[in-house]
Amino acid sequence: MIFSVAKTICADQWRYWLRTKVAATVLLLGAILTLAALIVNAFHVEEAAHAREHLQTEAEERFKAQPDKHPHRMVHYGHYVFRAPTPLSVIEPGVDTYTGNAIFLEGHRQNSAMFAQQRQSAGLTRFSSLTPSFLALALAPLFIILIGYGSVSREREAGTLTLLLSQGTTRWQLILGKLLALIAASGLFLLPLLLACLYVAFSSESPLVVLLFCLSYAVYFLLWATVVTACSALFEKSSVSFTVLIVIWMSACVLIPRLGSSVATNAAPSMGKLEADFKVEEKLRSLGDGHDVNDPAFKKLKEDLLAKYNVDSVDDLPVNFRGVVAQYSEGRQAKVLNEFAENRMGEELEQAHIARQFGWLSPTVAVRAISTILAGTSLETHHRFLREAEALRLEFVQGLNKVHVEKLDYKLDMDRNASEEAADKAVVGADNWALLSEFNFNPEAANTRISNALIYFLQLIVWVCITVLFLKAAVRRLNP
Amino acid sequence: MMRFTDLKREAGFVFGHRQIKLTLLVVFLLSVVSLWTGFAEMQEQQATVEQLLEKDQAERDSALAHQPNYGSAAYYTFHLTYSPPSPLAFTAVGERDVFPWKHRIRMLALEGQIYETDADNPELAFLGRFDFAFVTSVLLPLFIILLLYDLKAKEREARRFDLLNVTARNAHAIWTARVIVTLVPLALVTLAPLVVFGLINGASLLSILTVCAIVIGNIAIWSAIVLAIGAAKRFASFSATHLASIMLGAWLVTTVIVPVTAHTVINAVVETPEGGDIVLTQREAVNSAWDKPVEDTWRAFIATHPQWADYTIFDPERDSSFNWKWYYAFQQVGDQTASELSKGYQAATLQKDTIASYVALLSPSLLTQRLLSSAADTNVSAMVGYENDVRAFHKALRKFYYYHLFKDPEFSQESFEALPQFTPNMRTLGESNKEN
Amino acid sequence: MQTKTVIGASALTVRLDNRTILDNLNFEVGKGEVFALLGGNGAGKSTTLKTFLGLMKPTSGIASVLGKNVALHTNDVQQSVAYLPESVTLYGHLSGFENIRYFLSVAGLNKSDNEISVALRKVALQENAWNNALSNYSKGMRQKTAIALALLRNAPVLFLDEPTSGLDPAAIDEFNALVSELAANGATIFMVTHDVYCACQVAHRIVLLSNGKLTGSFERIGDTPIDTEAVHAVFAGRKA
Repeated sequence: MIFSVAKTICADQWRYWLRTKVAATVLLLGAILTLAALIVNAFHVEEAAHAREHLQTEAEERFKAQPDKHPHRMVHYGHYVFRAPTPLSVIEPGVDTYTGNAIFLEGHRQNSAMFAQQRQSAGLTRFSSLTPSFLALALAPLFIILIGYGSVSREREAGTLTLLLSQGTTRWQLILGKLLALIAASGLFLLPLLLACLYVAFSSESPLVVLLFCLSYAVYFLLWATVVTACSALFEKSSVSFTVLIVIWMSACVLIPRLGSSVATNAAPSMGKLEADFKVEEKLRSLGDGHDVNDPAFKKLKEDLLAKYNVDSVDDLPVNFRGVVAQYSEGRQAKVLNEFAENRMGEELEQAHIARQFGWLSPTVAVRAISTILAGTSLETHHRFLREAEALRLEFVQGLNKVHVEKLDYKLDMDRNASEEAADKAVVGADNWALLSEFNFNPEAANTRISNALIYFLQLIVWVCITVLFLKAAVRRLNP
Repeated sequence: MMRFTDLKREAGFVFGHRQIKLTLLVVFLLSVVSLWTGFAEMQEQQATVEQLLEKDQAERDSALAHQPNYGSAAYYTFHLTYSPPSPLAFTAVGERDVFPWKHRIRMLALEGQIYETDADNPELAFLGRFDFAFVTSVLLPLFIILLLYDLKAKEREARRFDLLNVTARNAHAIWTARVIVTLVPLALVTLAPLVVFGLINGASLLSILTVCAIVIGNIAIWSAIVLAIGAAKRFASFSATHLASIMLGAWLVTTVIVPVTAHTVINAVVETPEGGDIVLTQREAVNSAWDKPVEDTWRAFIATHPQWADYTIFDPERDSSFNWKWYYAFQQVGDQTASELSKGYQAATLQKDTIASYVALLSPSLLTQRLLSSAADTNVSAMVGYENDVRAFHKALRKFYYYHLFKDPEFSQESFEALPQFTPNMRTLGESNKEN
Repeated sequence: MQTKTVIGASALTVRLDNRTILDNLNFEVGKGEVFALLGGNGAGKSTTLKTFLGLMKPTSGIASVLGKNVALHTNDVQQSVAYLPESVTLYGHLSGFENIRYFLSVAGLNKSDNEISVALRKVALQENAWNNALSNYSKGMRQKTAIALALLRNAPVLFLDEPTSGLDPAAIDEFNALVSELAANGATIFMVTHDVYCACQVAHRIVLLSNGKLTGSFERIGDTPIDTEAVHAVFAGRKA
């Protein structure tokens, strides 16, 4: 019973929107924008995926195509890894354009990523980008406000509110009808997003993640529809409800997210890479220079090795001592570098967490956190990329060092600088370069991403409760 | 002519509304908070630079003390380069959180070092900074819309519009006075904190006034847009909120749609070398040099550095045990091989920025943002300028070491007193660009 | 007519979007006269008023006030008339007193609080409401405040639009007495209304407007109010 009345009111509201130019224009504009954003972004992502795939393959081929060489030269030749975009980044590119997408992997150093897209954007996209997620999170609420700010208050201003309520329509039926109408309107904006998600779900992303992703956006739109309807009912004049809603929009979608990031920077300053580099170098120096076999740091290593093989001098070892030193030193260096890297990542994560705490103050921040985490375009995934790149680095460097140890004669190695012929002798076969593994980067497992996002789901749920209470209060205070 | 009594009366009238006072308070708070966060961050950056400089010097000194020859000295010593924040950088973070503003480099091939990012937390950069430029270019227009959208429409809806026009001795004076009495306090609450912070930070009075002029210009443009829409005959019968929707639409189009569309179009139109290609090319050139005959490297090197043509012979007695000369020569050749792409990359960056400056004529918010980052020296050209500073320094470094590697390999610690020091704006000092 | 023409319409025609709203109006109002323009909805009453107030320009013909062509000397005319709009909502956040002070200042007039009090008493606005916010006033109280404002302008000509809408019978009587007093003191009053009773009580001349044309005219004889029934019958279009 309650429903049929609500449906009538809902239908009338739609009739009003379609007959007034403003609402119809906004609906149309919003739908076109979302569609356009989706298409443009899909192209970008496709392009990026292909480019990076191509570069990755090229890098691997070049490595393996290197001629016979001294293995340590290959350690310095290094390798590049490129990060391909994740499936859901077509909707939520997240930090993708801000992080570099290429890392140079070489011995003795951990480099940072290079070539962030943002550098090429001439500052045009600092405030907004036309990504579907920005549209949905920041612009769609504005559209919802423009359409729905007067849904109840116009009835009051026209005097029809008294008429409706006196006929036996209950307050809830009225509000529900208005709410349903607005939800349907927001659904129009949501539709392109949902279609894109469906498409992605059939490709390589976990269906559960896609489902939760869509659900979060759907709940977000529901939230806004509820707030707008509640405000419309609460305030007597349309203009007041309009102003209040615009202020709410400005705070929630424009102000608070940015405030969060500024507070995070100031509250948890992180040591920059260069500052960390100094500390790293200090520590590394104490570990000895891996290029210099006679460095006193390797004295014990030498003694242990001589004892193990029961010989008196390094020339008699069955293995290449230089290689052993290189391997040993690289391992210790890697430990130090990783210690600092983890430290840095911890600081960045803490900052991100602080910024995301502002999700308690604005549902936009909460949904954005959920969106980036589920899509695999958040800081966590970038950190994982860094870790996997490092793992690959250590693997191939130590692999090369192993080749250095086992396959290159020590004497030839020590004489390599004497002349060009000597240099040509101190090499190993090019077939050894096949030890390089392929690099395939995938975001974290679906379950990990979901559990990372749990607290932000909680924030969203709390917001739902708050808006429901707000709606209840508005309904109670609805007086003709 | 508007009399002072008119202004006084309208001031009393406008400020009688609680809304206005609240709005002005909010804008004031936003201004203060945004300025403070920018200020704190730039203080931090400045302190970092000073700390790093100290450490850098200490590092280098201790590293140099152990070096046996110039070749290894150049290999093991790093030099700090940086772009210090200008006195007004706190007003507009600009590109400083996307482009690097510090690098530690050594004499090896520059193209392999210069593209590293020591950028900030990407998640924070993604959210964007809440700086003064953001408040004045993006938020202030919204406040202007909220304050002025119903200037006349409200009176029309309450049927006071005709009464006011008929009763008034000077109808224009009323509207003008109301606008002035709203906008002047708005400008004051926005700019007063700026002046205070600017003076504390030691910015010149001229630069502070420039920023004030830019903000006032933005307020003027947006007020003109809002008032024009409000006064347009075509919209005369529209309700106040309908008018506000139109104004918000204008804001949306100019602040969001124009920049983003321009970004897509510019990217499609301007040819940009792939960053990945630059580093791959450079690395190939450097690493292939090990396998090629030495003469090939020398040929390529001497072509651009003819002054060292007579010094390429490697003498293990005189020079160090390792042929450092040749090593650095092929590092340079690697850079040279990639220089086309590298120049193209920088040129593309600058070209896109130039086109963006034309696009900004269609978007007051974008224009304000660009003007502010330009005044704060945090725009694209400032950051590219820093990159060129690094290149100039690298050149100076090479000049120093080439002399010692080629001509005077007699190693002495004292010679390092002539080691070039990095100073900001080195690129402008490079008159000796011809010399290598 | 011996009295000089204060308000005059001469072949006054107003056309808008190919529609003729006022068609060749001709009438004169002398000093001290109370002139009522009666008309149904859409007859052109508001347009007539707007033309005389200088808010609208006639397509042809002349509207004159105090001997000046309104279209040509709009500002001068506006300075010498007082206007009471229909169902006007003065500023809700100001009190009745403050509203009057504000509008008087806008008009460039300086009246003492005493004079304002006198005017408010004259319109019988209860004193305890003078300093309350206007948003708390009833419709009648708001109307009275607006009338007080018009009085304080001390203008020789008053243009009133539906002045009795929202007033209860007691207030209507007070209003009528006020109008008669003003007229007796030399003010010329031009009233647009469809309150037949009030018009008959107070007007010296009633003119009917229908579809932009004048369709009837009644004049008061001596001190006797014009016959309400007669006017109503013609107004309602009843066959005689």
